[in-house]
Amino acid sequence: MKNRILSLVSLSALVAAMATTHVFANGDLVADQKARIAALKDHPDTKPHLAFVSNGVADFWTIAKAGALAAGRELGCQVTVEFPGGGLGDQKRMLEDLVTKGIDGISVSPIDPTNQLEVMQLVAERSFLITNDSDAPSAPRLCYIGMDNYIAGRMCGELARAGLPQGGEVAIFIGRLEQDNAKRRRQGFIDGLLGRSSDPTRYDEPATVINEAGYTIVGTWTDSFDRAKAKANIEDVMIKHPKLALVTGLFEYNSTLAVEVFKQAGKTGKIKIAAFDEGADVLVGIRDGIVLGTVVQDPYGYGFESIKVLHAFNQGNMSMVPANGVLSIPARVIKKDNVDSFWADLKAKLKAGKEASAK
Amino acid sequence: MKKSFGILGIFITVCLVAAIFGENFLTGYNLMNLTQRTALFSILALGAGIVIVTGGIDLSIGSVVCLAGITTPWLLVEHEWSPWLVLPTVLLGSALIGLFHGVLITKLRLQPFLVTLCGLLLYRGIARWMTGDQSQGFQGEFEGVRAIALTKFTIPGLENYRLPSTVIPVTALAVVLALFLSRTVWGRWLLATGRNESAARYSGVPTARLITLAYVACSFLAGFGGMLFIFDIGSAQPSDFGNFYELYAIAAAVLGGCSLRGGEASVFGIIVGAATLQVLRTAIILLGLSSQLEFAVIGSVLLVGVAADELIRRFNAQRLERASHAAIH
Repeated sequence: MKNRILSLVSLSALVAAMATTHVFANGDLVADQKARIAALKDHPDTKPHLAFVSNGVADFWTIAKAGALAAGRELGCQVTVEFPGGGLGDQKRMLEDLVTKGIDGISVSPIDPTNQLEVMQLVAERSFLITNDSDAPSAPRLCYIGMDNYIAGRMCGELARAGLPQGGEVAIFIGRLEQDNAKRRRQGFIDGLLGRSSDPTRYDEPATVINEAGYTIVGTWTDSFDRAKAKANIEDVMIKHPKLALVTGLFEYNSTLAVEVFKQAGKTGKIKIAAFDEGADVLVGIRDGIVLGTVVQDPYGYGFESIKVLHAFNQGNMSMVPANGVLSIPARVIKKDNVDSFWADLKAKLKAGKEASAK
Repeated sequence: MKKSFGILGIFITVCLVAAIFGENFLTGYNLMNLTQRTALFSILALGAGIVIVTGGIDLSIGSVVCLAGITTPWLLVEHEWSPWLVLPTVLLGSALIGLFHGVLITKLRLQPFLVTLCGLLLYRGIARWMTGDQSQGFQGEFEGVRAIALTKFTIPGLENYRLPSTVIPVTALAVVLALFLSRTVWGRWLLATGRNESAARYSGVPTARLITLAYVACSFLAGFGGMLFIFDIGSAQPSDFGNFYELYAIAAAVLGGCSLRGGEASVFGIIVGAATLQVLRTAIILLGLSSQLEFAVIGSVLLVGVAADELIRRFNAQRLERASHAAIH
């Protein structure tokens, strides 16, 4: 009998705990975080422990890490940087562990914002949540630091349009489409290429062939970060579509592999490439005139600004967050005329990132 | 050869469907790409096959591919080692990994599944730590070394098709392995070890040495394959390079006629198994199917093929049994 009563009490406690966990709506959590920040004005945390969590492992994130650690040194706070190598599950575990550690603020690039709402609510409940690189507008985040991926995608699309004004067949290659930045980047590219009006809410199905304004977008192919598969995708699409005139690789390695495949197939310069991010082969390709150009982000800025903003929250200061909650770090187009100066700066930042990783 | 009829049937069917309904399947460029991919995955599958023959399993193939593949440009580009030193070092290192597995399995009597599962985690972890999670590539250099995997030979009479150089090591490996299994005492002993290890040991077969040799060969081939993969692709990221390649290798070996219970192998079947997986992946794009369906299509086709193969075998066995009964009475 005693055991039964104990079980009932435990069960009720568990149900109550679960109910309390889910009682917060996003709005409440944002208000709650703001209230905690306001309270910190009188008792600022001078040495907060802050975290920066990427959505994967890449050179891009090594540069972001250098930025985050540089901000940590400048502001005198402890910074933990985590790179989830195992996808969604890995990122969730890292966020939960950071919360358990009692972290004072997390900047995360969510892999799948729609389905990660719970873990982001957990962070917002116990710490301060901001997003970087890829936004989660439906999560209780206090701000988003990064570029607008739709606009960056449009820049890449416009680059392609300028390089292929007569129209033709175009193929899109991208690592995966689950994350918000990938979807928006792809849609921006399509709209920019086709000269459509700006509408970030528009969505063209990946499997649909789009015939518009003289261009035929033959499809979008994903590879789940398997580079052999990514290479095979480009080779196979070239076979299926012999009239292919331009490709875009919307993740860094997709563009790099397009350069490699065309070199191996003797198609260098025959099929144009509008690239994304700063792969070394892509930069060489721009210099040699075989890549039209590339749209680059500022990962160093993402890391640096993330820590700066989270540090300010711990001082009770929210003044640097704009009213729309988006702290924009715009993308840039790199072409033949500015590729050398960009590359020199990139090498310096990568070196700083590697040194930071080694410590 | 008989063991390979099932997979050969699937292979021919998939090729026919892709050639009839897919665009440009029979072009020289596509066939060249398929030959290259088949050769690369066959190297891993042959290694997996050798271990499966002994009744074992190697789950660390993908991670050894990663470690060997990543180490090659890391030593060449970052540490400026000579290619003459890098290639033997990587291959020797891979073989030592196999020796480590073999010793743990035969001397410490640990289960192959566990040993190689730990290896799967260990070698990827080492690759990520060693490179600081940085992607590694040749940065436009070392064209000469990369030519090992990228050279294509013109064949008289076939204008658009050029034979990838990776076919040479695969053919050599396949011939050596086939001769080893069918014509040498050690090969027979290896099959006997896989069928019944205890019986083989009591018959005087050095089973521990043979099992160790199988793991050494498997890891060596995974390391060699990893090197060829990185030569082909040009750059790779330690966190994802070679992920799940052990499954492709094991699937090709089993589809090709290797029994997971050990003691059975078909070198020809393994290569056809590897080719089938690659043709299926390409067929999905050429047939215009959604790439999200890739795994579903591969899984379904293989399952239907393997089930049909098994049913035909049972039907033939029953027919033979009935015939022998009729002859007796």
